[in-house]
Amino acid sequence: MLTRLNLITYATALVVIVSLNFLLPRLMPGDPLMAIFGDVALVHMSPQLQESLTERFSLDQTLGQQFIAYWAALLQGDLGYSYYYNASVTKVICGRLHWTLLLAGLSLLLSTILGIVLGIESGWRRGSKVDGSILTGMVALSGFPDFWLGLLLLLLFGVHIQILPLYGAESIYSGLTGFVHLLDIGKHLLLPLIALTLARLTGGYLLTRNAMVGVLKEPYILVARAKGLTPGTIKYHHAGRNSMLPVMTLTGIWIGRMVTGVLFIETVFAYPGIGFLTYEALTYRDYPLLQGVLLMTTACVLAANFIVDILCSRMDPRLSHAR
Amino acid sequence: MLVDHQREMARSRSGQVGIALLLIILLLAILAPVLATQHPLTQTADSFRGPSWKHPLGTNHAGQDIWSQLVFGARTSLLTGFMVAGISTALSAVIGGSAALIGGVYERIITLIVDTFIVIPMILMLILFSIYINPTLDSSILVFINILILFIIILLSFYMILYMGWIGFIIFIPIVFLAFISRKLLSDISIISFIISFVCWQGGARIVRAQTLSLKERPYVSAARKFGAGTGYILRRHILPELGPILAAEFISCVRRAVFLQAGLAFLGIGDPGVVSWGSMISDARDWIFMDVWKTWLVPPGTALSATIVAVTLIGHSLESVLDPRLRDDFYASH
Repeated sequence: MLTRLNLITYATALVVIVSLNFLLPRLMPGDPLMAIFGDVALVHMSPQLQESLTERFSLDQTLGQQFIAYWAALLQGDLGYSYYYNASVTKVICGRLHWTLLLAGLSLLLSTILGIVLGIESGWRRGSKVDGSILTGMVALSGFPDFWLGLLLLLLFGVHIQILPLYGAESIYSGLTGFVHLLDIGKHLLLPLIALTLARLTGGYLLTRNAMVGVLKEPYILVARAKGLTPGTIKYHHAGRNSMLPVMTLTGIWIGRMVTGVLFIETVFAYPGIGFLTYEALTYRDYPLLQGVLLMTTACVLAANFIVDILCSRMDPRLSHAR
Repeated sequence: MLVDHQREMARSRSGQVGIALLLIILLLAILAPVLATQHPLTQTADSFRGPSWKHPLGTNHAGQDIWSQLVFGARTSLLTGFMVAGISTALSAVIGGSAALIGGVYERIITLIVDTFIVIPMILMLILFSIYINPTLDSSILVFINILILFIIILLSFYMILYMGWIGFIIFIPIVFLAFISRKLLSDISIISFIISFVCWQGGARIVRAQTLSLKERPYVSAARKFGAGTGYILRRHILPELGPILAAEFISCVRRAVFLQAGLAFLGIGDPGVVSWGSMISDARDWIFMDVWKTWLVPPGTALSATIVAVTLIGHSLESVLDPRLRDDFYASH
């Protein structure tokens, strides 16, 4: 069940982001065109292009009229125009989306499953040497910034041993087809995937372990033991399943934060997804593109939260009764 | 307080390791001018030199001494971390606490703002802010900001020392000292710190509000009220002390996030190029990854950055496991 308050929050978040996107460049002193597109881009623009852009963004009108024009364009799916790529922002983003989906989706799956399994095993053996070393290792792992983890892997496997490619998502101009092409994509994917999975592991692990510690004290675990069920059944069927819920919520948040999550890793490996696109937009000062990414990402976060809210109440009936 | 947090934290192994690591890095930062062989930004013609007595870690593409950059980078990371944590913990406490105490429409508005900001992706917003908000500040304003920051840091340090005992003492006294001896750097990183704090306070405010709401309803508070205690007295005697450990945990987690975000932004090339930082060192070294210099150029700042964040994470983890009653008498508390 979705509460009304949540809907209000989502709407406010969207309005805040759109307004920030609209207001920040326009509140800057000087030519608004320059603030929107950046000084580098403006030098290369012809006067005709400048004029047509001024008209397109209604920059010669009052702020209120501009705001209405801005919303009208947004509602038609027009996120603006990327000067560097010479294409509409929507098109540029859509052209990169599949790489991010591949990388982030796989790592999400891997880190969630690994985190849950490690968390269940660790929580089950709570207080033992195994639990202690997994816990310490995980906490230490979470101290590594993701771009540094990525760089370490890159140095080890790409530079030192030289068995895996240094950058990109596939070998360019190789004309590979079929299975060899897939293998090539897999090879490029491996390092960023490992880095991203390791960087995300701790969150899910800690949540599962903490939930497990709590669940194991519940009476129904005692009943299960008294019934003579095997430890494996109790561990995974009775305790484990109930310890997964907080991780599901976290996974939902991660789905929404996909783009921000992959920002650094994609930058390190020059992996051509949305994260690397953000970095490029920043480097080339392609501000409309940057704002488009921000808006799209916020929309993703909102959608993911919405879905998780619904899924969680389905998975745990207690939640929908509580509201 | 029912539980002696300091003693439990001091006994936990992760707390000990974390504090020791952090103190080593703090020492590096404080002794930076002594340890450095030359000014970290001085460019020389000797580029890409290997390690030698003059340059313990060699030189980079611009002939700058890498070792000197490394030790001065510690100052940037630590000061940004603690400054952001100071500002955003203060914001969390004031905003979250007041929302719980005042209630009504004010509380609802604050809750809405907090929820909204939690939903919006932080890093992208930071990037957007740091592109557009790049003011050239007047020197008189800078002096004012400087004093303000020092004031916040000192005030919070006192608070932390009060509630974290000797652990707070050995961490915060060196930090305040470091802030005093590097006031120039402090004003250089003040803007980025304010921007990072702006996206960091919301989670803390939510926790503080929830805790204050529950504290307000405790029997001993209503008992005190019935004996005629005023709001100020209750705040001072009953609510603020009980918030202490939670604010300390929030502070530590803010330090962790801020150190990471500052390094990340510098890695992406955002920030003042006149400030030496581990993030920008990593970013510079990455462009020369195909040369053999990465062993002395890329690995040291990355290791130092990870060590700092690991240290803070360990301290935070031991604090949290001491605070969470469900996890108490646990591995870390019992060993």
